[in-house]
Amino acid sequence: MKKMNEQQMDRLLSQYVDGRLSEIEVQKVESFLALDTSARQRVKELRRLKDLLASKQKLVPDIGFWTRFAVALEEQKKDEHSLLPFPRKFVPAITIMVAAVVVVAGTLVIQNRMQFIQYFSEKSQAVRKVYEKNVLQGQLLPLFSKVDKDRALQFSLFGTLALDDKSKTELRVDEQSKKGYRIEVGKDSKNKAKPMTFNHFLAEVKPTSGQKHLIDSLLELTGRRIESSVLIGENNTMAIAPDLPNLNRLMVTNIAACLEPNQRVQFERLLEANDAPYTVTAQSVPARKGDRIFQNIPQSPRDNRFVIITPDTMMYSQLHIDFDSLRRHMEENVVMFELRREAMLKRMIAREFQHAPRNLPWPQPVQSFGNEEFFSVEINVPVEEIEQQQMRVIIQPRIRKQILQTAAPNHSIQVRTWRDTASEGLTR
Amino acid sequence: MALPLPGAEWSSKDKPYQIGVRARSFVPSFTKTNDARSMTNDQILPKPSVDVLRKMSDEALITAFQSGDHDVYRFLVERHQERIRNLLFSIFHDRDFIDDLAQEVFIKAYQALPRFRFEASFYTWLYRIAVNKSRDELRKKKLRRFFSFQTLDEGIEKELNMRLSVPPEDRDTQELVALGLQSLPEKFRTAVVLKDIDGLSYEEIAEVMQCELGTVKSRISRARSMLRKVLKPLLEEVV
Repeated sequence: MKKMNEQQMDRLLSQYVDGRLSEIEVQKVESFLALDTSARQRVKELRRLKDLLASKQKLVPDIGFWTRFAVALEEQKKDEHSLLPFPRKFVPAITIMVAAVVVVAGTLVIQNRMQFIQYFSEKSQAVRKVYEKNVLQGQLLPLFSKVDKDRALQFSLFGTLALDDKSKTELRVDEQSKKGYRIEVGKDSKNKAKPMTFNHFLAEVKPTSGQKHLIDSLLELTGRRIESSVLIGENNTMAIAPDLPNLNRLMVTNIAACLEPNQRVQFERLLEANDAPYTVTAQSVPARKGDRIFQNIPQSPRDNRFVIITPDTMMYSQLHIDFDSLRRHMEENVVMFELRREAMLKRMIAREFQHAPRNLPWPQPVQSFGNEEFFSVEINVPVEEIEQQQMRVIIQPRIRKQILQTAAPNHSIQVRTWRDTASEGLTR
Repeated sequence: MALPLPGAEWSSKDKPYQIGVRARSFVPSFTKTNDARSMTNDQILPKPSVDVLRKMSDEALITAFQSGDHDVYRFLVERHQERIRNLLFSIFHDRDFIDDLAQEVFIKAYQALPRFRFEASFYTWLYRIAVNKSRDELRKKKLRRFFSFQTLDEGIEKELNMRLSVPPEDRDTQELVALGLQSLPEKFRTAVVLKDIDGLSYEEIAEVMQCELGTVKSRISRARSMLRKVLKPLLEEVV
């Protein structure tokens, strides 16, 4: 007994007061207690503690407990009922079943992983093949190919580009200063712009050889951008880059920026004489350097976004097209591509839109409307975005003369001009 | 074997005839059925009176419950609610909190009762649920204290010392004992409460706390030793 430490002593005495010791152990403890005063004291304290705990005040019986509990139980049942689509007693069985299914499915997947990998790899290859077939093998073709300097200039200055020589159908892009841009495809002899050639431009503006080289490069770039901005596909599908009118304005700005102030006056006269939709505003600004000009020109449609139009619907989506490889492919099979493009174009021109104008919610509200010979895509860009564009310093939309004669030159007239044009197109 | 008379004590050996279960073929034919859907063999026993149900053993009521008569759960709750409330009150010493917790214990028991196997007595089984629930709650409280940077134990000790410093005749023994219990760690507190307040045996405590008998003995002696230390002036009063 003497060898026990405090903890062992506590444990022994605790069991002694609880009556848990055998008779022999009790005798030993009692003989020890007879000799040890502190142990006796400890036992007394333990007994006193037990009495205190046993006499601890009890709570008053709660007669309303069942009533409250019954309500809580009902609520609990309701909650469970609403959470589980089956009785609660089926939970263990269903859990086991689900676990078994997961284990079996997991085992199958692991065992047949090579087949799965092969399946997904084949799928991926199939997607690639579809892409190559649709995009690279001519299912989706640029509406314009080999846009030369004359056509690029024509487009830059007037926003019009003939689809082909025979059909007299044009692609027209134009902007409304308040609402945004409009892209149109159709026959419109009234508004047909005067033909403009690069030589005519050179004769009028008389650029230096450096400027000529620069403008030449700009027009080449414009041609490439036009090629990659308007695509046509099977089933009367058309994809137009919504920033195409940006390109129009950007190129006029850049051409004007290349020129010296006196040449810019000539350029303004040329624009005015041909009733171009733009006018040069900052005529005294000195010519900019070529590298600064080229920095502003995006090489491809912004975010690869296109407005995709089919006879039934219209959507705004991303198309990732490798235009370089597409061009190479086209150059290798020129005849085939031209024939296919011509067929598509015929169908495109004869297209019939079944639906009234509709809006797309994001990111820009877009409308499309038209009839048998005309359709139009209207892209509404917020005014702030137009104002943010840096080329506005030099080029502003020109107010048409016939409108100027009847009303004051303000933004609302610009809008009216476009509504008039649209109604002409629609009523025809 | 005969059916026990109404009001007579039902024991576990009478299980085949317990209330709420479907009648066997030897049930006299005068018993009228009131629910044809629940009939399997012959007829259904008439439902016993509330007085009879109140006198039935826990096991008999559980068997009735497991046979589909969930109304008998009321008598189990009424029989054990005070023990569970007092157990929780001894552990938490918070009158407002324990009623909700007691409800949760009985809801948990209600959900688990269909799986009760009669391997332990109902009240030790119910105590186990209550102890587990209180352990969860103490863990949550501890976590809350940790995130609010509080040290509850220091506060209890301070209050205990303050209350013990007054003259013996002014001391509130009940409050001191409750505070002493609150100062113990959860395992020791539960063990000593079950032993000295609820009067469970060491074996029953081992079953409730799901631990070895030796662990129970050790926890009880440690708890008493700690309590002796913190309540020394109170224990020396009469000794």
